[in-house]
Amino acid sequence: MKRYLLRRLALAIPTLFLVSVLVFALMRLMPGDVATRMVEGHAYAPTLAALRHDLGLDRPVHAQYLEWIGGIVTRGDFGRSYWTRQPILDEFVRRFPVTLELALLTILVSVVLGVLVGIVSAVRQDSVSDYVGRILAILALSIPYFGLAVLVVVLPSIWFKWTPVWSYVPFTTDPLENLKIMLVPALVFGVTRAGPVMRIMRSALLDVLRQDYIRTAWSKGLAERPIILRHALKNAMIPVISLIGLQMPLYIGGSVIIESIFRLPGVGLFFFEALTRLDYPVVQSVNLIIAALVVGLNLLIDLSYAFLDPRIRY
Amino acid sequence: MPSSIPASGIKSEEASPTIAPAKPALEARMLGAPRPWWIDVWVRMLAGKPLGTIGGVIVVAMLAAAVLADWIAPYGYAQTSLRQRFIAMSAAHWLGTDELGRDLLTRLIYGARISLYVGFGAIGIGSVLATLIGMVSGYLGGRFDLLVQRGVDAWMAFPPLLLLLSIMSLLGPSVWNITIVLGVAFGIQNSRVVRGVALLVKEHTFVESARALGAGHVRTTLTHILPNVMPTIIVVATTGLSTVVLTEASLSFLGLGVPPPYPTWGGMLSLAGLDHMYRAPWLAIWPAVALSLAVFGFNMLGDALRDLLDPRLKGG
Repeated sequence: MKRYLLRRLALAIPTLFLVSVLVFALMRLMPGDVATRMVEGHAYAPTLAALRHDLGLDRPVHAQYLEWIGGIVTRGDFGRSYWTRQPILDEFVRRFPVTLELALLTILVSVVLGVLVGIVSAVRQDSVSDYVGRILAILALSIPYFGLAVLVVVLPSIWFKWTPVWSYVPFTTDPLENLKIMLVPALVFGVTRAGPVMRIMRSALLDVLRQDYIRTAWSKGLAERPIILRHALKNAMIPVISLIGLQMPLYIGGSVIIESIFRLPGVGLFFFEALTRLDYPVVQSVNLIIAALVVGLNLLIDLSYAFLDPRIRY
Repeated sequence: MPSSIPASGIKSEEASPTIAPAKPALEARMLGAPRPWWIDVWVRMLAGKPLGTIGGVIVVAMLAAAVLADWIAPYGYAQTSLRQRFIAMSAAHWLGTDELGRDLLTRLIYGARISLYVGFGAIGIGSVLATLIGMVSGYLGGRFDLLVQRGVDAWMAFPPLLLLLSIMSLLGPSVWNITIVLGVAFGIQNSRVVRGVALLVKEHTFVESARALGAGHVRTTLTHILPNVMPTIIVVATTGLSTVVLTEASLSFLGLGVPPPYPTWGGMLSLAGLDHMYRAPWLAIWPAVALSLAVFGFNMLGDALRDLLDPRLKGG
């Protein structure tokens, strides 16, 4: 276990290094000049050259890279935004809870829906409820979440004069009000993600239900409920968990869209605003932090397999 | 259990294709099989895969709309008429008009063209790239493979949408840019799957005997490995179509995909038009329906093709 953990951590370092080079190269090698944009917007500095010098854009590319990555590695300093001059990490940490809460609620919605419908579908295979469940899953897979989100924003306000709450309240200030705000985005996003969860759940459970130890459980006279919930479900959850792990980047990517539709002040919106202003340091650092989170999460998920299935050892 | 999560998910390295000898057509003739596999697939689809057939019909209908848009669309896609703004469904405008009096049905039909143009273009570029990277990396193996795979790892550590948004915001929205960017992303991501299959195929004795008979590396890969990797590539490409179309829609939704005045389904849904949608809800409903229908069609067709071509790739 310990050796495995160390090996995985050692593998993560070159990956993250490549990530940092990739994202830095992308931001610097491509057309689009933030200095010009800034001078056009609000004259931040007397001349273009002075602004470039201020931002450190006049130095060689490798020096800029080293400064950025050096700051991160030695001081945990992810740089400052070009536009607001605020430290990026502070802003990220301030906004991260919103995105995390959205992601967790989304996963909760999609897992609860997907697992429940998946269990019913698998246990009652080829019955009417199985077909209904499978059709629902296909529908959920087909509707793009941003389409559904726009419809949820627009249609109820026309028909029922109901609108989502637009002003954000942090969880720590008023948990109930906060949940009321997050519920609709999480439902919209979660429902569309429940489709794949349900399909994986169904096929994994069908697979497990045909195994010998389940037959043994049946033959020793156990009732259906404990067989399914205690014996079968735990093993069948492994593919579901890896699916959620694999979809984690999707949840984070989707938060850009969901947060901009529902005006939630999360990391997604921060990233998107930085993008439209060509705020390189923000885009670079947010990409890198999120990539590191994804790598770490994948490791956690691999470790959770050993917990779910004692036969798996590292 | 694998020591790391296979990069492209459930249907990855442990999945292997049905390995056929190098010349399936010859084999089939000798056994007296009446049809080559690429016709057989469609026959079996019509016979046993109703959902796949429906998906196929939707995709064909979209293709027809895209190709025939100039003839079947009732108006021009940028044809404005300020006197006829926000008309609800009517005989002249079946699906209504938008804030500039443009016919919604027309814009949806032309939207199909853009979606398919970007979708097929990106998948074409991506499949070639995936095959190239995957086969070379898998076939050569060793240090080259290790290096390439770490690069792929790094690419896959990004949430795809963040990376694509970063690139598109720098390149600027255009049909060409988004096609190429989506194609490259698709290619890098799916080179994993192709590599996995290539690794399996190259261990077979028919590859060894080809080498023993004096075939060079290029010849071996092209005539013996490629035909066996082909079904997997087709499956990956068809199942990828819906993802690519959806990604294009999300990028256009955020204003970083296909620029106006081209009508795209994602762009028509976008927040820029939100104020108009309150006045004319059909502006939100129909593009969402069109997009869902397209994704449904691609998904069903892709699933059915996967089952028929490559039963062991079955995901869920």
